[in-house]
Amino acid sequence: MLKTLVKRLSLVCIAAMTPAIFAAQPDRLDQPAPLSSAAHSVLLTDVVRAGERLVAVGDFGVVLFSDDEGVEWQQASVPVTTLLTSVFFTSPQTGWVTGHDGVLLYSDNAGEEWTLFFDGNEINRLKVEYFESRIASLTDEETVEDPFLEEDLVFALEDAEFAQEEGPVNPLLKVWFKNEHTGYLLGAYGLALMTDDAGQNWSFISSDLPNPDQFHLNAITALENSLIIAGEAGLLMRSDDQGDSWYELPSPYGGSFFDVIAHQHALFALGLRGHLFMSEDGGFDWQEIPVDTTVSFMGAFSDGETIAIAGLGGTLLTGGEPNQLTLQPLGTRHHFNAVVSTSSGWVLAGEQGVFRTVEQGVSQ
Amino acid sequence: MKRMAERLLYPIRRSEQWVEYLLFHQRAWVLSVFLLVTLVLGWQAIQIRPDASFIKMIPTSHPYVENYLTYQQDLSGLGNSVRVAVATTEEDIFNAEFQDVLRLVTDELFFIPGVDRAALQSIWTPNVRWTEVTEEGFVGGPVIPPDFDGSEATLDQLRINVLRSGQVGRLVANDFRSAVIEVPLLDFDPETGERLDYQAFSQRLEERVRDQFSDDQVSIHITGFAKIVGDLIDGARQVALFFALAIVITMVLLYLYSRSIQGTLIPLVCSLIAVIWQLGLLNALGYGIDPYSMLVPFLVFAIAVSHGVQIINAIRLESLHDPDKWHAARSAFRLLYIPGLTALVSDGIGFFTLMVIDIRVIQELAVAASLGVAVIILTNLLLLPLLMSYVGVGEKAIEHAKAQADQGGEHWRVLTWFATKKGAATALTVAVLLAFGGVYAAQGLQIGDLDRGAPELRADSRYNLDNDFITSNYSTSSDVFVVMAVTEPDQCSSSATLSAVERFQYAMQAVEGVQSSVSLADLSKRITSGLNEGNPKWRAISRNQFVINASLAFVPGGLMNADCSLLPVILFLDDHKAETLIRVSQAVETFADRYNSDQLQYLLAAGNSGFEAATNQVIARAQYEMLAWVYGVVSLLCLLTFRSVKTVLCIILPLALTSLLCQALMAMMGIGVKVATLPVIALGVGIGVDYGIYIYSRLSNYLSQGLKLTDAYFETLKTTGKPVAFTGLTLAIGVVLWVFSPIKFQADMGILLTFMFLWNMLGALILLPALTAFLKPHPELTSSPELFENDR
Repeated sequence: MLKTLVKRLSLVCIAAMTPAIFAAQPDRLDQPAPLSSAAHSVLLTDVVRAGERLVAVGDFGVVLFSDDEGVEWQQASVPVTTLLTSVFFTSPQTGWVTGHDGVLLYSDNAGEEWTLFFDGNEINRLKVEYFESRIASLTDEETVEDPFLEEDLVFALEDAEFAQEEGPVNPLLKVWFKNEHTGYLLGAYGLALMTDDAGQNWSFISSDLPNPDQFHLNAITALENSLIIAGEAGLLMRSDDQGDSWYELPSPYGGSFFDVIAHQHALFALGLRGHLFMSEDGGFDWQEIPVDTTVSFMGAFSDGETIAIAGLGGTLLTGGEPNQLTLQPLGTRHHFNAVVSTSSGWVLAGEQGVFRTVEQGVSQ
Repeated sequence: MKRMAERLLYPIRRSEQWVEYLLFHQRAWVLSVFLLVTLVLGWQAIQIRPDASFIKMIPTSHPYVENYLTYQQDLSGLGNSVRVAVATTEEDIFNAEFQDVLRLVTDELFFIPGVDRAALQSIWTPNVRWTEVTEEGFVGGPVIPPDFDGSEATLDQLRINVLRSGQVGRLVANDFRSAVIEVPLLDFDPETGERLDYQAFSQRLEERVRDQFSDDQVSIHITGFAKIVGDLIDGARQVALFFALAIVITMVLLYLYSRSIQGTLIPLVCSLIAVIWQLGLLNALGYGIDPYSMLVPFLVFAIAVSHGVQIINAIRLESLHDPDKWHAARSAFRLLYIPGLTALVSDGIGFFTLMVIDIRVIQELAVAASLGVAVIILTNLLLLPLLMSYVGVGEKAIEHAKAQADQGGEHWRVLTWFATKKGAATALTVAVLLAFGGVYAAQGLQIGDLDRGAPELRADSRYNLDNDFITSNYSTSSDVFVVMAVTEPDQCSSSATLSAVERFQYAMQAVEGVQSSVSLADLSKRITSGLNEGNPKWRAISRNQFVINASLAFVPGGLMNADCSLLPVILFLDDHKAETLIRVSQAVETFADRYNSDQLQYLLAAGNSGFEAATNQVIARAQYEMLAWVYGVVSLLCLLTFRSVKTVLCIILPLALTSLLCQALMAMMGIGVKVATLPVIALGVGIGVDYGIYIYSRLSNYLSQGLKLTDAYFETLKTTGKPVAFTGLTLAIGVVLWVFSPIKFQADMGILLTFMFLWNMLGALILLPALTAFLKPHPELTSSPELFENDR
């Protein structure tokens, strides 16, 4: 009896002394976002409205939602801990979120719980598959027309295979749906994907875009029946046939555009270092709107009457007419990435979480 | 028990005989030896240097500190720097005059020895640059425009550069009315290899920066560890004044007590010799004197005087019977050698129990105090009666003693009430009530420092005002907790490491009390965003190692070590309250326990808050360990001496009540248990037990002669009451002046020690007889302990 006890005790001691086999921190794609009080002060990159609800996304897999116009926020359950970059709802119930590592999240309960629809590994696979089938279906006509096409496609396939080995390296930067069925995903280095069946299947469309330098694609919007994409280095592209084919627009600027938005039949493109342009002819002719700031504009919002533009260094620009935009003094130097209107003012997604303005004054 | 006690005490008793012989028959020889030793040690004592080192104030074998010491070299940029803020009364800093001053201060600091010149930073140093993302990529330049000439145009350019440098809140105040010069220090002079002399450095800062540049428009604010140490040493110097004051007051009291010039000067001189020996021995043993052990000379002096008083008192009383100087001194020596030795040995052992606390300053304090007490045995138990055998106490003193003896000391009668049944019951009831109250109040006792800024100094000290100025105008907290993330070499900047570390930081940011955090991961994220047109959507750790490597080309020093196996994670805390530190260190430990792997370990801890967390842990544990030791040792000594558990209780219980009330006092005054206050209880108990030993040994003597308790106690008071009260007073005077010290912890120590010395005295005078009446230990004392067979 005593012997066994001693034996047991010594086993316990040995167990206590041998270092446990520690589990290293899981990869951020495998780690669900922890529910944390710190979630309310992370970098937020986007905020949108989903019916009555406001939903914001940001760093460490944080998705926040508010049912009282941005006063109180709750954290949603998310299966990854990556930096999320944009959010879009096709209905008050159905939403999509993009993020780093090529993450695409899906929710059908108004953004309270999110599932991983795919990550960058799937995007890499789609890319390889695209080039493989493209090479397989190459017709004689095409090779005659462009003798280097096959070689180019083989190179592109090799690139895609190399990327597959590298893993889910590149971020998705934007999710946007034209309607319930048709949606687009934009990302780094010219990455673009499209769905026609409400997101069940996505196809690789980067090769259809006139973006030979593979600039980052940052934003997309619709103006009447056309689609416009904006990106790095002044890249502006337009499609007049529901995205089947794209052509490059003349750009008024060589720096990056971070957002493009349609407001009262006009297009607004905004970007680096206080650059804001307006086009009243669908993107062919642009006029610069002078603004008294040199910080970058990151995200725009229009409710049909008022346009609001959020930017770095605590910038919020609002107004009804393009030439009447005024800088709102918010008393902060934190960066803002997106803005949405509420019944009482504006809610901004920024460097230190949500920032809310009300009619009089400002509150965090 | 009895046999053991006899065996243990045998050498002491034997020593008395030959010591007495040596002392009183070879007076000249002994005296010249004392003189020689005093000269040698005096010469040593003059050379003693003020000494304060960071490493001595922290528990070096605590795992946190061990981890820090392992990586000390790699963390050097983090710890030791001084911040000098230059503030203007003008509207802002963008005017030519101010910039001129700022430039001159920067230059001045550059040339102060000990400054790591390459790492010095202000908006006037070329290593502080602005960067901006433009259409062409990153552009940048020095913050001060190359063509700066103080003109409006270049001042405007400067303003723009400051804004885009990201230094607002760091090198430039949030209100633009001051600018900081960040001054990293080298612990060792690269040319001479000498240790940085904090005091000299601090003095140079004062003279060459604060004094030279402060005027109506410009004020200088300086913070940093080197400045704290400098201020501590300066403050400790003022304490010398208190020492002089304590000597004067003690002298007056001694004269009033003894009415004898010899009886005043000789104990004073002997006590000063004890202090000289103690300081000399410390220096000879290679110790310096730091702001903590600064207390020890005071204590040594006070203890020495109090024993001196006992001897002078005995000589006076002896002189009533035998006016011969030599005989009186010799009988006084015989009378007090053993109780004095016992008391001093118990003091010394009580102090020595502080060695269990693994913090060097406390251990050095223990060594210094034990050494001091050992020295007192020689100077005041031996030298003092020897000197008195030459000069005697004088006629006047003898007459005074005679007058007092005739008077009968009726005023002591009041205290004998506590030896009656009713009085004892009352006193004990009050004591029990006090004990309950004490237990209740002591629950609020906190570990660690509770005040903002540098808790070593007073809240309204210039240092803390400077610190307030900087913390309220800049965005960085002064409470820094550093976690060391350790990887294989070359892996500190791998994508996997940085991604793990950023999530660690995120987890820590949810811990209450953590304001913000910084590591290599943050920088990599920000620069990655910068390389992508400053788009915050790119503020992530890239999975592409090439992107990370490109981003790290811009990283300033201090966030990784040379072989890239360590990246410090710096947590900025709200405050350094014990509960905050516990919460943060527990959160880090829990995370580390769960996720530490071969690839990445999170090790605690560096930074001032990290060390304070370690110190608090050690102190929280040591607090009870030390109490157990000190009470254990003192009880054992009492048990050996008196051989009765009940007697031990009579002596120890009043001390325990004082300790408890002292804790309650600390809780009520908002004094935490910390490096400075922890030794107080051991010192208080060690010295407090003297009263009990003196009183009880007399009391048991009279009881064994068959006197009733009240009568025996009255006789005891008549003979020893006065010296005991006087002892309490001299001890209290030695430390009460500390309350005025510019150093906060010295003031705390002063308050608490004064409280303990006085309460221990009251406890011995009131509770000891009450407990004796209640516990009745005396029937067991069939024969009085022959140790104290000291009656005339």
